[in-house]
Amino acid sequence: MEYLSSIILIAISAALINNFVLYYFVGICPFLGVSRRVDMAFGMGCAVTFVISIAAFLSWVLTAFVLRPGAPLASWVWQRLSPGSEGVADLSILNYLVYIFVIASSVQFVEMYLRKFYPPLYKSFGIYLPLITTNCAILFACLEIMKHVSGVPAAEMWDLGRALALAFFGGVGFTLAIVLMAGMREDLELCDVPRALRGPAIALIVSGILAMAFMGFTGVDRNLAALLR
Amino acid sequence: MISGEVLVAGGAMTVLAVAVAYVLGWANKTFHVEVDPRVEAAVAALPGANCGGCGYVGCSEYAEAVVLKGEQVTKCTVGGASVATALAGLMGVEVGESWPYRAVVHCGATTAQRLQRRDYRGEQSCGAANMISGIQGCTYGCLGLGDCVAACKFGAIHVCDGLATVDYERCTGCGACVRACPRHIITMVPFKAERMLVVKCSNKDTGKDVTSVCTVGCIGCGICARTNKLLQIDSGLAGIDYDQYDPATADFATVLSKCPRESLVWVGKPTPRDLAAVADEKLPDRVEADFKTTVDDAEWRG
Repeated sequence: MEYLSSIILIAISAALINNFVLYYFVGICPFLGVSRRVDMAFGMGCAVTFVISIAAFLSWVLTAFVLRPGAPLASWVWQRLSPGSEGVADLSILNYLVYIFVIASSVQFVEMYLRKFYPPLYKSFGIYLPLITTNCAILFACLEIMKHVSGVPAAEMWDLGRALALAFFGGVGFTLAIVLMAGMREDLELCDVPRALRGPAIALIVSGILAMAFMGFTGVDRNLAALLR
Repeated sequence: MISGEVLVAGGAMTVLAVAVAYVLGWANKTFHVEVDPRVEAAVAALPGANCGGCGYVGCSEYAEAVVLKGEQVTKCTVGGASVATALAGLMGVEVGESWPYRAVVHCGATTAQRLQRRDYRGEQSCGAANMISGIQGCTYGCLGLGDCVAACKFGAIHVCDGLATVDYERCTGCGACVRACPRHIITMVPFKAERMLVVKCSNKDTGKDVTSVCTVGCIGCGICARTNKLLQIDSGLAGIDYDQYDPATADFATVLSKCPRESLVWVGKPTPRDLAAVADEKLPDRVEADFKTTVDDAEWRG
């Protein structure tokens, strides 16, 4: 029960309270770039959710087994190299490098796989996938997961389920934000915006107001935790 | 002295890189999809900005449409003419004819034809006058204060009898007047011929309301739409479908005689017959502005 409630809390926190785009302001480039039409925004959101889940899975596995201090695989190699040494194997300096590497290559792999076996899906995701390769929202999700996996006591370490919940619902939150934004920008096309504010300027102002609206969720998590306990 | 930790880190990175490279290389071969080499060439010819300006999602989709579906080669707004030429060379087609766009004022009423006008003594600009109501009955039509005249760098637009009128011998199609008009009644029309038929009205109100404010405006009766399939009525206003407009075959004689108002008008360069008809009329002498007594156009008008 405690595990389930922690998953629910992580999910709601990632999707609404600490929305990646509107709270942390990561992933702004697709948020502004692909939010002109609702259908394209939804496609982008789905693609981000998909890739963020894959990236979170891979980065959790790599962090837990290779990168974190005292990781099993790294420790095994360390023992082989210098038998009986005191220190623990710690590859956490490689975190950023490995995450970027893994995200880029997994996106490449997924793209090739989709192209071969699911051409319609490739057609609808097509353009978004390479754009996502360098999306900071995904790296951000990996780093958030790293914070709870690497260098924490074993009892507090997040398992794969929690990591995937954070990533997937972070993606859902991104989709929600970008679709809301696209809906507003579609209406904004019809508005008489002052010339100085046209284009990206008004988009940023609108996203700021949207972010303020999402600030209303602050504190929901505490009451929710009390409710679930 | 390189510590063991650095060695392990470097080794881990190398192992990871080799493993991923192997997997990706294998995937590239296994999941290889045969594509038309022309599509690849077209993708290479496009700028790769993936801006969506062509109406397709990204450059590769547009390239596919060009090669496989015979889409026009001129749609890339980023690449412009050079990319269009490259694509045309690739596909072995001519770059499609592109029409010069010219400004058209969608109002045909002179001051005398606009009803319910009041004396306006405020700032002599359409932008200011547009903000207050009651200057004239028609809230869609030309105000005649010449914001478009001031915006035009080519002297191609003038206010004649209180109505902005385009001089098509001078108009370059830059669109400055379109942006200047606060009532948005100037649009760019593809001039497929020297003379184009246009709807000289922007009033979307019902017929009764239009007749109460204007003696020439379109009342949306729809007789033109029933007579000619190039015309249609959209929210109480006639419009011409310029995509289908073909000056060689279109016959507008019937529809022009049927229109009960004077909303359908030919604009553009006059035909020799028109010139002959007015040849014996005496032209007024051209009056040049005297810059000793006038400061600028705005003061001149007021």
